[in-house]
Amino acid sequence: MRFEQYYEPKTTEECIRLLEEYGADCKILAGGTDLVPRLKNKIWRPQAVIGIGSLPDIDTIKVDQNGLELGACAKLRKISMDPSLAKDYKVIMEAAGNVSSMQIRNVATIGGNACNASPSADAIHGLIAMGAKAVIAGPEGVREVAVEDLFAGPGKTVLTRGELLLKFKVEAPKAGTGAVYKKFAIRGDTDISIVGVGCGITLKDDGTIEAVRISLSAVAPKPIRAAEAEKLLLGKKLTDELLDLAAETAENNCTPITDQRATAAYRKEMVRVWTRHAVKEAYERAKSV
Amino acid sequence: MKRMEINITVNGRKHELYVSPDRTLLEVLREELNLTGTKKGCDDSNCGVCTVLFDGMAVKSCTMLIPQANGHSITTIEGLERENSLHPLQQSFIDHFAVQCGFCTPGMILTAKAILDENPDATEEDIREGLHGNVCRCVGYKKVVESIEAVRDGEYSESCGEV
Repeated sequence: MRFEQYYEPKTTEECIRLLEEYGADCKILAGGTDLVPRLKNKIWRPQAVIGIGSLPDIDTIKVDQNGLELGACAKLRKISMDPSLAKDYKVIMEAAGNVSSMQIRNVATIGGNACNASPSADAIHGLIAMGAKAVIAGPEGVREVAVEDLFAGPGKTVLTRGELLLKFKVEAPKAGTGAVYKKFAIRGDTDISIVGVGCGITLKDDGTIEAVRISLSAVAPKPIRAAEAEKLLLGKKLTDELLDLAAETAENNCTPITDQRATAAYRKEMVRVWTRHAVKEAYERAKSV
Repeated sequence: MKRMEINITVNGRKHELYVSPDRTLLEVLREELNLTGTKKGCDDSNCGVCTVLFDGMAVKSCTMLIPQANGHSITTIEGLERENSLHPLQQSFIDHFAVQCGFCTPGMILTAKAILDENPDATEEDIREGLHGNVCRCVGYKKVVESIEAVRDGEYSESCGEV
């Protein structure tokens, strides 16, 4: 037996009550692509599994003039193919489309990609590049956390007992904003990233960088921002020298490990290479809108 | 564990099942409904032999718990053949020698159907991208892609209703 009880709450309140009751003894089922293998391999042995697919509006994708709302259970493939995101939120589509195979993306959810808190998660970097916020419901009410602050370590989020990730909110981007996510893996999307770099840039009318966000995947215990590199770029016009310097700074910003996919030294070098690509492309996109 | 009521439509037939919610869709298809055309390979959602169509979308049934399929419609490889004839994709796989041991074939064909249903003009690149999650360890992918391209190009259009 893989667990004792299965629940499928119909309201958020009911779900929070169950999460509070079971605490660490329960797991949330969204798409299940990360949960089910771990249940089968007995890595997790929860008493209860709580399916959240029946919660109201949990899988909605809503775009209006104020911004975008993505329900926690929005499927990665739906996100990656939704034409309403193509204009302003292309990076979110791309990052979601970079996760594993078609079959997995048809089932896996954006909230699951976040809450699984894998250091090499891809889909969330689209959200980080756009400055998205995670909306969390819990016994104390609803709170919002910037997506990059959602993670506490490998497999760990800042969600506390009884809390549930409801949705993501992204403000409509300012004019002159471009963003991109670059995944580097040997066997394409199906493979886990060696390095991933997300970048969002907003340009002023005169071409100086008004705002910039660079996020790095698979090079630290959790997704991180390359803050030093961002500082370097802010308020300047992008030149080749500046780009090289920012890429080098990002390389020194991260603390990767050696595993079966790449050595730490190689990962660092690839952070430099892919930061350069990502910043350059985000800049080009920002210029073209 | 307490069983729960699951209503699913499999290959057009409605089923009302009482099963334990910790079982996977794959286990229920194979063990409750005796649809053993859907295979169990890695059981970890890497290899793709367990691929079925879930409301028309290709999914890996080994990592889906049965409550997730409640109220949905599933197509397995058994659901493709018509009276006295194979589905065009099945016939094309045979004609193009895309089958050796055959273990990956049900999953490959269902993924191929999902690719062509969604995009009847899928390019070779689209087909290869779509097949990313299906692993074959004997024939390789060239013949598989050729089989799918032949169906796309209408070589089997006479018996080809929905693709």
